[in-house]
Amino acid sequence: MARADALARLAWAYGIHQARRRLTRRRSQLADLVETYAADGIRAVEPQMRERHPHLVSCINCGLCALAAGRLGKTRLPDLASSYMRLYARLSEASSDLAGDGGAAPDLAAAASVCPVGLPLDEVAAVVRRMTTR
Amino acid sequence: MTAPSAHDVVVIGGGVTGAGIARDLSLRGLSVLLLEKGDWGAGTSGSSSWMIHGGPRYLEFDWDTTRLSCVDAGHIVTIARNLVYRVVFLIPVMPHDRNNIERMETAMEVYDRFQPLKHAHPHRRLTGKEALQAEPGLSPDVIAAVTMEEWGVDPHRLVYANVQDAVAHGARALNHTRVTELVKDGGKVLGVRYRTADGATSEARARAVVNATGPWSPELGAMAGVDIRLRPAKGIHIIYPHRISNFSISAESVDGRDLLMVAHAGFTLLGTTDDDFYGDLDSVDVLEDEVDYLLQGFERVFPRIRDYRPVRTTTGVRPTLFKWRKYEDELSRRYEVIDHASQDADGFITIAGGKLSMYRLMAEETSDAVCRKLGHQVASTTASRPLPGNESDPEPPAELAARCSISALAAMKLQSRHGTNAEKVLDEGGTSRILCRCEPVTEAELVYAARREQVRTLADAFRRVGVAAGPCAGAACILRTAEVIGRELGWSASQRFDAAREFVRGAWLGRAPVLNQAGWAQEELAQGAMRGLMGFDGSR
Repeated sequence: MARADALARLAWAYGIHQARRRLTRRRSQLADLVETYAADGIRAVEPQMRERHPHLVSCINCGLCALAAGRLGKTRLPDLASSYMRLYARLSEASSDLAGDGGAAPDLAAAASVCPVGLPLDEVAAVVRRMTTR
Repeated sequence: MTAPSAHDVVVIGGGVTGAGIARDLSLRGLSVLLLEKGDWGAGTSGSSSWMIHGGPRYLEFDWDTTRLSCVDAGHIVTIARNLVYRVVFLIPVMPHDRNNIERMETAMEVYDRFQPLKHAHPHRRLTGKEALQAEPGLSPDVIAAVTMEEWGVDPHRLVYANVQDAVAHGARALNHTRVTELVKDGGKVLGVRYRTADGATSEARARAVVNATGPWSPELGAMAGVDIRLRPAKGIHIIYPHRISNFSISAESVDGRDLLMVAHAGFTLLGTTDDDFYGDLDSVDVLEDEVDYLLQGFERVFPRIRDYRPVRTTTGVRPTLFKWRKYEDELSRRYEVIDHASQDADGFITIAGGKLSMYRLMAEETSDAVCRKLGHQVASTTASRPLPGNESDPEPPAELAARCSISALAAMKLQSRHGTNAEKVLDEGGTSRILCRCEPVTEAELVYAARREQVRTLADAFRRVGVAAGPCAGAACILRTAEVIGRELGWSASQRFDAAREFVRGAWLGRAPVLNQAGWAQEELAQGAMRGLMGFDGSR
């Protein structure tokens, strides 16, 4: 009975929907979507980042990069890739972690060269920096 | 055996429903003993999709389930703010899908009527081009899409928060404690006999015994001599240790079922299967066929899904109410509170069926039944009373981080598990050292978990604080975790190694079905050190 009732109500809703679609002007809802969830950090992924994304999140936290380059700002390697890169919805709340500590910039290319999974650490750093400043 | 303890109620089963019942009854002033044979939330609750959702698919079968689910989701979201976060689905419509965009949007328009009940936003409709702008990883074949909002939740913490609050209000809660027998006298259930983690046996007498053991309900029912009929359904998930997409995505499987790729806080969960299950509930394996089934379904909407490295799988069995003939997916997630008085087991009550999103309501109704039986007239307060750590708004993570000398990311994660109690947790351990770098988890939090949160094994620590849940799957932190937990629990050096070895072996069983070619190579690398250190041979 519940099933028949549910289907009847859905059929009625479908009729209403079709009528509304015919009578109302259509406009894009993408901007509304992005704005609604901006505060939750849920936003569109850029096409370039999407292309590279499987590589950017492939860290297995083996720690070899830490031997080649210790940290970025206050953030240790490989945490940059193993934890910050994973949590990009609320990353802006962790922006203070990436602030410089006055030390020399780490050689991320050298660190990446020892990575067994070929993680592009310099790209990861750029992405994480971009996300923390949003 | 020690002398029997006396309680108003014994609740058996430490999943979310059992924990919720223990909390509800304790808040009503009854003395409660809660028993769990494994760890809190280690069964069906922990292997869920980690969502408090309203169940839009039930609109096709039973609107009442959707309404009840949304109402209770609204309560849970309010009382457990630190544990929940928004999950926004993109539901792409592909060529040959069961539903076209108009039918999909109709369903979402109906669902929008229920969304305010759980403090969620209404749907949006996107063209195919717009859907690709929102998520470029979608297949270019996408015709259009609608969005749908749900809530994500850490079920392990949700269960434990309920246990914690029950204990704070006088309950006694024992994990790793197995009920071996129900004490019966004629047609009345008088209590339970149980065996604790250290092997000691005890007896507890109670005016009512509640069976909240989920899929194990028939097994416990048999101890009371009653027949409880379920139709258990197995579900698996694939876990990726990172976000694959900001938007969660739904897909249709080859046989037309709804599949979900859920973007949680720092990981992605892909699932789920839904198959009748007849095997051993204590040994449910994930099959490679099931993994392929899920990946095949998603590949059609998200072609690069196989480029991502899963870290493990989870599996669980749903305690679905019995019904003949219907396909698994169509079975309602409704629940039933059964008083077995008429089956020669007075004092024995079972809660069967249901789902995580309605746990609080199920607990309330079960508690109502218990109170009626005991003549105890106090109303439930769990719909509005915050769970521990949610009594006020937490401070910004950066402030906590600066004061406690931890990273803001660590502070944020700590708050997500403990809410406003985060600083208390750090104070207990007395150190801000990060132990699990993937999550990140501080050593202090582990110390707190061992001292205050009934962590008895490393798998318990995984559930309680998320240690070893990240990309390394414990390779970088499990030995250090064993050191800290072992120190707190008085383990010898060999016990610490044994615990780490046991954890790695258990994790391996969940990981093996999802290792592809690159995954095997990485597994070799990650476990190389462990083999040398621990003599772990990697065999199943």
